[in-house]
Amino acid sequence: MISFESLSFTYQGGNVPALKDICLTVPDGGFLGVIGPAGAGKTTLARAVSGIVPHAYRGDFYGSVKVHDMDTVDTPLTDLSRCVGMVFQDVDSQIISTMVEDELLYGLENFGVPHAEIPERLDFALDRVGIPELRERAISSLSGGQRQKVAIASVIALRPRVLVLDEPTGELDPVSSRQIFSLLKSLQRDFGTTVIVVEQKIMLLCEFADSLAVMKDGALAYQGQTREVLTHAEELLDLGVNCPRVTRLSRHLSDRLGKPLPVCVNLEEAEKQARELMA
Amino acid sequence: MREIFQYVPGTSLIHRLNPMTKLLLTLLICVAAFLTGNLFVLLGLLLVNLLIGFCAGIARRTLGVFKGLMKIAVFLFLLQVLLTRKGTPVFWIITDEGLYTSAAVVLRLIVVCMPLTLMLAVTRVSDLANAMVQVAHIPYKYAFTITTALRFIPQFLEEMSDIMEAQTARGVAFDKAKGLKKLGMMLPLCAPLLISSVRNTEHTAVAAEVRGFHLRTARSGFRHYPFHGIDVLTLLAGAALIALSAVI
Ligand SMILES: Nc1ncnc2c1ncn2[C@@H]1O[C@H](COP(=O)(O)OP(=O)(O)O)[C@@H](O)[C@H]1O
Ligand SMILES: [Mg+2]
Repeated sequence: MISFESLSFTYQGGNVPALKDICLTVPDGGFLGVIGPAGAGKTTLARAVSGIVPHAYRGDFYGSVKVHDMDTVDTPLTDLSRCVGMVFQDVDSQIISTMVEDELLYGLENFGVPHAEIPERLDFALDRVGIPELRERAISSLSGGQRQKVAIASVIALRPRVLVLDEPTGELDPVSSRQIFSLLKSLQRDFGTTVIVVEQKIMLLCEFADSLAVMKDGALAYQGQTREVLTHAEELLDLGVNCPRVTRLSRHLSDRLGKPLPVCVNLEEAEKQARELMA
Repeated sequence: MREIFQYVPGTSLIHRLNPMTKLLLTLLICVAAFLTGNLFVLLGLLLVNLLIGFCAGIARRTLGVFKGLMKIAVFLFLLQVLLTRKGTPVFWIITDEGLYTSAAVVLRLIVVCMPLTLMLAVTRVSDLANAMVQVAHIPYKYAFTITTALRFIPQFLEEMSDIMEAQTARGVAFDKAKGLKKLGMMLPLCAPLLISSVRNTEHTAVAAEVRGFHLRTARSGFRHYPFHGIDVLTLLAGAALIALSAVI
């Protein structure tokens, strides 16, 4: 389990807190989506899970974050990173090697994955992210989207218990973005991986995330089960979070009909609801 | 320009040499170039460089690097020739000794620079770093510094050309300027780029740390780098070059 207990954090040299009194828990094997406007503190929240805040980015840290019973302040960053894998928002600064295969090998080698197991891990990560053909390529010759996939593959290969991804689909087309989310879902299902993903594409979060955290000015504006959070469509819009059209549709319908209807998160559900209403 | 330090995948004999062999051969050629002042030996060393490039199947890169170095070499040669006063004049202020030593200096420059870029074209940077750690027992920290520096060169050049493109689009005549004038226009861009590079390396250090940087030992590497007969032969040939240039 991951738990934030009244976490507040101000970066060294920053005058306003980047995180304010965050209380949040993510169960083992949960899938949390984090959304909110730019500068809301999403990246800082992700960094706090991986321990990069406060180990690498110093500042005033109040409250606590526990990841699988490890207090992130007391546990060395290297020990935390055996458990938490993180994909950075700025992909270029995450990449260490010059060749794709080397980038995947780096963490596997360092964390002492048995050498006999490494080829299988490499194939797994490259296949699942959908870039087996890039294996021998120089990273500087890749497009932004391809680099993003390499960064994701290099973390997936480590099979961490907790996976933190900071806007992992920022440079990806819609098809690839969906593919990455399906991959995350399958890791959650097959390995019980806990997934925390910062994402701007609300539609993907609605479809794949079990729970949502909506951030605004360093604080949690809303949190809870995905459907529950989506019932606040209008308030979310004020925060710049545009709910999917199907969700707004079911809201409109329930207003018009004057009776509460369950919130739909995808097209199939909306279709089913419409059919039932017409019948 | 952007590819100058980039690895060219291949399976040639040169590619398959031990990375340490390639590094040592590079150093041996450089040392040989400094040991000799003889024009013919230097020309011979240049030939060796070109031969290595052709054998490794990277003829185009080799010639590209050679041409680039030639441009600088011609400039330096003229400068040196005009500044040398020693020897008997052959034409105007140009002396025979000036011609000879200037030729030797620029040839040496080419012979020293070429093997470095050739080595990086036929060796993955990570193999170089891993072999340095595994074979030569160099602390990983230092090997990492080298790989990181080499990783940032293409990124730096890419950002540079992005900025120049953007400036050109705004009407700055980067594309028309040549030589020193172009250099003068590029220099002011270097400071902000360097600052952002330093910031990037800080982020990269964090990225390395969360992927087990501190756990890495000489035995961590997945790939191994044994020495074969061909490595021994190559190094013997390198030693022969040194002996030759020391004697002649
Ligand atoms: N390294 C840093 N040093 C100082 N302030 C920072 C740093 N990173 C982020 N901040 C500040 O913290 C706040 C939250 O930023 P961030 O977590 O990156 O938001 P988001 O990812 O939601 O856009 C912003 O006000 C930002 O300026
Ligand atoms: Mg961010």
